Amino acid sequence: MTGWLEGRRARIEGECPAVVAAFGDAGATFVEEGDIDIWVHVAPPSAIKAAHELSHDEWRASLDAGLDRRFLGARDFAEQCRARMGGGAILFIGAPEQALGADQAAAAGALGNLTKTLGVEWARDGIRVNAILTRESGETLGHLAAYLVSDYAAYVTGAVTGIGLDD
Amino acid sequence: MPVPSHHIIAIPPPFDAPPYPADIFAGQVVLVTGGGSGMGLAMARAFAQGGAHVAIMGRSLDRASEGAAQIAALGVRSHAMSCDVRNPDGVAAAFDEAESALGPVSLLANNAGANFPVLAENISPNAWNAVTRIAIDGTFLCSTEFARRRIARGEGGAIVNNSAQYIWTGFPGDAHSAAAKTAQATMTRKLAADWARHGIRVNAVAAGFFPHADSVSGAREEGIEPLQNMIPAGRTGSIHEFGWLSAMTCTPLFGGMTGQIIVQDGGESLRRSLMMPDFVPPRERAEGPWGWK
Repeated sequence: MTGWLEGRRARIEGECPAVVAAFGDAGATFVEEGDIDIWVHVAPPSAIKAAHELSHDEWRASLDAGLDRRFLGARDFAEQCRARMGGGAILFIGAPEQALGADQAAAAGALGNLTKTLGVEWARDGIRVNAILTRESGETLGHLAAYLVSDYAAYVTGAVTGIGLDD
Repeated sequence: MPVPSHHIIAIPPPFDAPPYPADIFAGQVVLVTGGGSGMGLAMARAFAQGGAHVAIMGRSLDRASEGAAQIAALGVRSHAMSCDVRNPDGVAAAFDEAESALGPVSLLANNAGANFPVLAENISPNAWNAVTRIAIDGTFLCSTEFARRRIARGEGGAIVNNSAQYIWTGFPGDAHSAAAKTAQATMTRKLAADWARHGIRVNAVAAGFFPHADSVSGAREEGIEPLQNMIPAGRTGSIHEFGWLSAMTCTPLFGGMTGQIIVQDGGESLRRSLMMPDFVPPRERAEGPWGWK
């Protein structure tokens, strides 16, 4: 992975130690403020509850983290990419559609088709958009994430993938 | 139309900068079906860049040998074999030959395939059988032969299948390949489940348009330049980036990945508009069932 992300500035929203480690190994620099080349959003897993036991507030919180915040963050990032005319890579990470509750099923399904849509809508801005929907949190997740935001995946956009058998 | 100059095109690193170290497949042997040319050769070259010895299987021994010579030039051992992947005995014999020449096969790339533009009503039974069985039966027979040998040795392994970007949408004007390539993808998930406990991983790359010297219908006078603007990514794929992703799925870097189908098509299968050019049935397309010759 040496050099995959050399010279690239990344920001990761959400917690995912495997991705942080892999990006570091691949040579990315993490920046808190200012322009970035890579934006990753990791949604925290929501509680597993039957739909009739979910309050509207819980439902809203899942959809906000799993969908709305991702769209708004991606839009801001794309705007910044267009302003500097340099392209970029967006990666969404979260649980698979059927892994948790109905809130996740809705959010992940929406996110998958949003990924496919934004991947094409922003293709000619040089911005690639991909998603990993998985139950895995280990090294392969980090490596796959680093691959997808690197130039080695220059022809991969709008892709939604898992990692393990149950993804 | 050329791609407008203000559009930004994402470009992969050059062939001599692979994404993994030169010894990532050290001591391993990969068998690539249909590996003598085109996408199979790209897979073979990518595995060779990671240090794997490469057995090239093809219908034509001449073509397989040409591919094997190119692989040997990358500094690994290679071996060419002739085999029809639809013949179980032939597949077993080819594995025997590969293992006797290079050692136990621990990686498998199922690439063998046939494809050509044709109207569904004009597909002869022979043509239907050829296209579907090379991909469907061939992938099954080679994968099961591989798995039985790995399981007998008590060792894992990895398989990568060359699928296609049109597997979830259909491909009007290409009914035989539309069926065949989706079967490859859906069996990928089940084979992965069947063999997970044996440490054998199975993944697929659903590949978009990667032109090469032997591309079907690819020999246009003006070359592929006019096709670049058709793809959302602003270009057709570079064959080496397809080879790399295929090989990548078999590396320990992606060691937890199995049963996945990764689409690598520059967004081609996703482009659509509410308003599109008039629909012309494949039968009435001036340039043939795919709309280009």
